[in-house]
Amino acid sequence: MYAIVGGGLAGFTTYVTLRHAGLEPAEIVVFDDDPNPVARWRPRAEAIRQTEMRSESDGHCSARSFPGLAVREARRRRTIAPLVRSVCDRYRPSVAEFLDHVEELRQQTSWDASFRQATISRVAAVPGGFELEGQGVFQHVVLATGHPGLRRPARLLDNRRAVHAYEPHDYADTVAIVGAGMAAATEWRNALASGATVVSVRRREPRRRPLNVDRELLTKRGLRSFQKTDPAWRAELLTRFAEPSYPPGRAWDEPIERATAEGRFRVAGDWDDAEQVICATGFGRGYREDPLLRALAGDHGLDTVDGWIVLEPDAAVGGLCDATRTLAIAGVAAQWAYPAADTLVGMKYVARRFLDRSRRCRTR
Amino acid sequence: MSYTLRGRFESRLAASVLPFLVALVLSPLVREWWPLELVGCMLIVGLVLDLVVYDRLDYQPGWAALPLGLLELGLTMTLARLLSVGAPPWPALAIFAGSWVVAQLLTHAVLPSRRLTYAEESGELGRGGFALAAVGAAVALGTLGAAWSMQPPTYRLARGVHEGPLELVTAQRLVGDPGAIVKGGIVITGDDVEVRDVTVRGGEHGIEVDGADAVVLDGVKVEGAKLDGINVRRSSVEIRDCEIRSRSGAYIQGIDISFGFDLAPSLVEGCSVTGGLEGIVVHFARVKVRDNRVSRTELRAITMTEMSDGSVEQNDVDDAKGVGIFCGDYSRCVVDENVVSNVSADAGSDDRTRQGVAIQSHFWAKIMLGQNRVHSSPQAVGAALGGTIEGK
Repeated sequence: MYAIVGGGLAGFTTYVTLRHAGLEPAEIVVFDDDPNPVARWRPRAEAIRQTEMRSESDGHCSARSFPGLAVREARRRRTIAPLVRSVCDRYRPSVAEFLDHVEELRQQTSWDASFRQATISRVAAVPGGFELEGQGVFQHVVLATGHPGLRRPARLLDNRRAVHAYEPHDYADTVAIVGAGMAAATEWRNALASGATVVSVRRREPRRRPLNVDRELLTKRGLRSFQKTDPAWRAELLTRFAEPSYPPGRAWDEPIERATAEGRFRVAGDWDDAEQVICATGFGRGYREDPLLRALAGDHGLDTVDGWIVLEPDAAVGGLCDATRTLAIAGVAAQWAYPAADTLVGMKYVARRFLDRSRRCRTR
Repeated sequence: MSYTLRGRFESRLAASVLPFLVALVLSPLVREWWPLELVGCMLIVGLVLDLVVYDRLDYQPGWAALPLGLLELGLTMTLARLLSVGAPPWPALAIFAGSWVVAQLLTHAVLPSRRLTYAEESGELGRGGFALAAVGAAVALGTLGAAWSMQPPTYRLARGVHEGPLELVTAQRLVGDPGAIVKGGIVITGDDVEVRDVTVRGGEHGIEVDGADAVVLDGVKVEGAKLDGINVRRSSVEIRDCEIRSRSGAYIQGIDISFGFDLAPSLVEGCSVTGGLEGIVVHFARVKVRDNRVSRTELRAITMTEMSDGSVEQNDVDDAKGVGIFCGDYSRCVVDENVVSNVSADAGSDDRTRQGVAIQSHFWAKIMLGQNRVHSSPQAVGAALGGTIEGK
């Protein structure tokens, strides 16, 4: 039996991959509170008024890389424009297209038949598998617990003017936006479009790159080099990758340049004068902020470096896997194995390798 | 997509399987090796570029396939030309374009959909890649083996006189040792026959080619034939570096190529033809007559007539009686870069068109005339009975 702890996009992508490989819904159990795989992702995207996905053509949940969303949209709209943009690395599927695609896959793969409403806060390695807190023993388990909550600057925790970018909100006349990553850049545009005056509060200048991580790290060669780094250096690299960034392009720059000229956008060190403070500061980081992963590492004495559980190159928890059982981590906590593990491409990377490793177990 | 070198090699080999199979079917159909040779050139160019150039690219966006494809097209055609592959341009272009489309579909759609980790593995095909390499090697060896086994046998003709006529009815190479002589002529009726370095003496015709395709006569020498030195009917031939010495008399010609208009074009190149009524004559055929020396002819030196189509270029015509180069009877001839000397009037004829014309268009024929040099001849260029001459 297979278990997926966490029914968000990482868990969903793993499930779709297992189903594609021929596993039946009865052989897989997905544990979460909400059966909707985009239940957590969708409100966040809506909160920042996100209309397009950042990822390119492979940013979808299907097990196969092709056909992706560009083909899907081309078929639906009966135009080759999405394919042409995809060939030129200019295709960004709309959020609506992505949500439709997730819903379609959810139906096709009988996701709901495998779903079990339960919160798992402890995993125990037992002979032949893993005990999931009263839910039984499962031979192969993926932990896809997602981001461990929203992160806010300590000074803003009790500030009534403050709201996190990923929480529903409107815009006041003067808005301070804390952060300089993709969410912050999106919020600059949103607030300016609503007529607000924006103060960008940032500790460092954002990097401009098309994807979350350098493209090189999505390649086999780049990944091989990354996975050969020593633990301390790898932890430092991962911290560097987490620095704020958003894509280059006129669509991002023009509104800022125009508003700056009009005196409606400026960079400042503090948010004192603003009526509203939006924390575009992302998510909590590290396994210690995730109760399940913290317990797993503590209970089993797993190797850790800074905020990371040390994983095998295939994102398996090496110390707990053997010839009869598999435990892997998917999503952001798997960045130790794959720096872009929090993207859909990264989720598929982990899912495919989890499948491979589980198939090598002698009892299956 | 970001490829490793192994990924590039394996993806390219996978993409070349279908073009190779098509070429394997096509080659016997057209009875030519060029389809296989062309696909081989494509593969060699691709693998070399993979190794030397493409491996330096960290990331290859989809649109790059177009300029890189054009680069590969140029290099493939250049290599094919250097190796004398002999592929006709449009079919070659069609094969290249088809192969390119197959490669794009394979690497952007088929392989990513059939092999989940294709992109993550940077184009590598895992165990399938090793199998593919083995299949590729087997196909290459099989192709070479088939090519070797299909080569016609080679027979050597020893020094000395051999009684003819020799009849060559199947594909073969007949290579004469120095001093090898066939007395009584050679008759060729089989396709893919090559005769090299043989001297022929006597015979009705010195060498007769009848109903045969892809015949090569290279370095042959014909002396004392009763009629034509080389007589070609309903055949396509390449005649290179031959030497023909004809007797004088009616009906005797150096080289006569006739009635093969619907067949592959023939070629006469680098020959020395002396004597005879006509030196080189073409009736209703498509022939290139190039870089030959024709002299001491009684009627015309080089004749292209009876709705023939071809070119007469870079020849040296000397001491012809009546007419030097003749294009007649609705034929179309390109006449360029020839040197015509000492054409004399046919004193025994009252035909006014035979009074020493170096280059003549006759009876609705059309000459596309280039830069020729005429010496010591009564008339350099002439047209008669509806024949026309245009600048090339």
